[in-house]
Amino acid sequence: MIRFVLRRLLLLIPVVWGVLTVTFVLMYIVPGDPVLTLAGERYDEKTLEEMRRELGLDRPLLVQYVEYLGRVARFDLGRSFMTRRPVIESIRERFPRTLILAFSAMAFAVVGGLLIGAFAAWGRIPWLGRTLMAGSLVGVSIPVFWLGLLLIYLFAIKLSLLPPSGYGGGSLRYLVLPAITLSFASLATVARVTRSGVIDSVSEDYVRTARAKGLGEIVVMSKHVLRNALIPVVTIVGTDFGSYLSGSVLTESIFGWPGLGRYIVQAILKRDFPVIQGAVLFMAIVFVLVNLLVDISYGLIDPRVRLKGGGR
Amino acid sequence: MRLQHNGVIVTILMLLLVSCSHEEEPQQLRLALQTEPSTLDPAFAVDYSSGLLSSLIHDNLVRFDEEGRIVPGLAGRREVSADGTVYTFNLVPARFSNGRSVKASDVVISFTRLLAPSTVSPRWWVLGAIRGAADFHHSGRSMDGALTAPDDTTVVIQLAQPTAHFLSMLSMPAAGIVCVEEVERLGEMYGRSPCGSGPWCLESWLEGDKLSLRRNPFYQGRAPAITGISFRIIPESMTRIAEFEVGNLDILEVPRAELTRWRSAGVSLRQQEELRIVYIGLNNRKSPFDNRTVRRALNMAIDIESIIVHLLFGAGHRAHGVIPPSLRKEPEPEGLYAYDPHEARRLLTEAGFPEGFAMEIWQRDNPESGRILESVQGYLAQVGITVKLVTREWSAFKQAINRGTPDAFYLDWFADYPDAENFIAPLFHSENVGGGGNRSAYTNAAVDSLIEEAARCPEENRRWELYRRAEELVYSDAPWIFLWFPLRYEVISPRVRGYRIPAVFTGQRFLEVKL
Repeated sequence: MIRFVLRRLLLLIPVVWGVLTVTFVLMYIVPGDPVLTLAGERYDEKTLEEMRRELGLDRPLLVQYVEYLGRVARFDLGRSFMTRRPVIESIRERFPRTLILAFSAMAFAVVGGLLIGAFAAWGRIPWLGRTLMAGSLVGVSIPVFWLGLLLIYLFAIKLSLLPPSGYGGGSLRYLVLPAITLSFASLATVARVTRSGVIDSVSEDYVRTARAKGLGEIVVMSKHVLRNALIPVVTIVGTDFGSYLSGSVLTESIFGWPGLGRYIVQAILKRDFPVIQGAVLFMAIVFVLVNLLVDISYGLIDPRVRLKGGGR
Repeated sequence: MRLQHNGVIVTILMLLLVSCSHEEEPQQLRLALQTEPSTLDPAFAVDYSSGLLSSLIHDNLVRFDEEGRIVPGLAGRREVSADGTVYTFNLVPARFSNGRSVKASDVVISFTRLLAPSTVSPRWWVLGAIRGAADFHHSGRSMDGALTAPDDTTVVIQLAQPTAHFLSMLSMPAAGIVCVEEVERLGEMYGRSPCGSGPWCLESWLEGDKLSLRRNPFYQGRAPAITGISFRIIPESMTRIAEFEVGNLDILEVPRAELTRWRSAGVSLRQQEELRIVYIGLNNRKSPFDNRTVRRALNMAIDIESIIVHLLFGAGHRAHGVIPPSLRKEPEPEGLYAYDPHEARRLLTEAGFPEGFAMEIWQRDNPESGRILESVQGYLAQVGITVKLVTREWSAFKQAINRGTPDAFYLDWFADYPDAENFIAPLFHSENVGGGGNRSAYTNAAVDSLIEEAARCPEENRRWELYRRAEELVYSDAPWIFLWFPLRYEVISPRVRGYRIPAVFTGQRFLEVKL
């Protein structure tokens, strides 16, 4: 187990290098120029050249690349071209907000999805099960933008229960609508996968044995059936969670949530190179770590899955 | 006894809470910004949000009022020499938000900083009329006494030649006066905690979420009636509308697509003509757009009035020229390009294109411009012109139009200051081809010389006449498809009094606003 974790952590080095290089190259290939955003609507070519020189963009690409790798090795992500703020400071400020939103959305998706999926598979009230599954199909296909606006209209404007948007200094009331919006697609997928997993598991021998031992229905479902249906759910949750952590642009934009997603998209639109490079690097590391946690959790949920250190 | 004590403490705490909330909340004007300011440093503020906030925090020698007129700012009195090249400003008493008095040397240092090669400000040109400014900016050569402070309250500025719009330039956010020691202390982070002598100072800035301004305690002018202004950053227009509807915002700009709904709901909307023109720039260097007859045909092939009514919901005036009606000294001239597809076809045949041709129109990624250009595409198809719409995001779009890549492009121009010069010189002088503003690469020596003469002309009516003649030439040469001057609509919360939509975005300082 420890060897496995160490090996995966070592793998981070080539991943980070790859991400750095690909981001760096892409940035110079795509059309657009950061100094055009900095210069506004009226400028002369000479001024643009001076601005490029000041930002170090006039040097050969290789020099910029080597210098950038050197800075990253010293854990320096540089300063935003636009705001002059250190990138790491902005990430430190925004990431906790993204994390709160991602956790809340994931908790909602997992709890809701498992309950709905298990209930639908249980089959005691067939019409309700079918309705829930049909609802989850809608949930998978519903556009985030539309859902977000619908929730704002219903809960903020019509019912006056929750604020329409904003961060509210981390208040729970501000978190509810963006978390539900963000979680909806995951919730629906988790419900569908749980249902099929549970249906597969209930006919297994160990479930019959558990029932034969005289265990109650709730214990059979929670300890034997659901636990075995969890592996695909963990995969979905892991992948979705990783992407939530890199920020959810649409949800953040609709709800004015000051997270990482909007930060990165704004940087891409303005060609704010240090921000793009720093934020993408950060996200890549987070993504790798989340996937590692998912792999570890497989072994904890299902003892048949063994994590090996590799090589043997 | 203990219970009684607890009861008293709870009551006091509650009273404190109530009194605090009563003191703060109702006095705070709540506004929304679509985009977050990049910086509050006047030398680097180039976008709308940065310019707006920077100008609330910093004072200028002169500034715009709500109607766009130039009024005294830090300079209470000014004198201009007979030849129009020497400006002498006398400062009124003022203090920065850190309590220090503003001196004439602060003006000189602020201006020198904007121009200095080491600052690399994209807005140095705002003071480009000062004698020796361009040389100083590009090569560091001394301005040789063109910018001096003979005493603590007098600033003398010498220009290279008479520049009629110099005071307008001094009113722009870039010419804001900064507190020198704060600039030195904070370096490039000055834009995150600025220190000016304007009516407001920055209280807090939560990145991506909200900026709050509070009254500058040392402001020497008439104190604002409200205690603060909060600017929420809300990128989505529908979310801004929701926030206004639930009462969390005090002023809302109504998106054009929403106008019909708000009008039919009987909401009273305030209207203001924007100092902005929307156009389709034609690449005057490329064939067939280097042919004036073709360009005129394009102007006649599109029913622009119909687009204004159906796609803009009436939120614009057809442009029969380039100077907005509110800046004109006489009624707008008759339009040359009434919608006439037959005449457009005839002109195309005359120009040697009886079968029409294919062209690209580039646009930035925006749903409204997409709808408008699809309609343009339809109109041009009727005269045999096949249009391909090309969408690029802003940075790539801007790079392409500056390089002159597209055949044509859909764009607008916002005035930096309310002067006809700002609509003629940057957009049509041959010196400004490309990033200078003349992105259709229009060149006409007669227009250039009229613009240059007008810039030097001290007499207001004569100056207007020169710009009018330049505009007439431009309009008949049709380097663009002239579209419209947009109208802006705002809805104001009933709790707000004393607010007017300003003609120039920096003209509203919220001093008269009451809640």
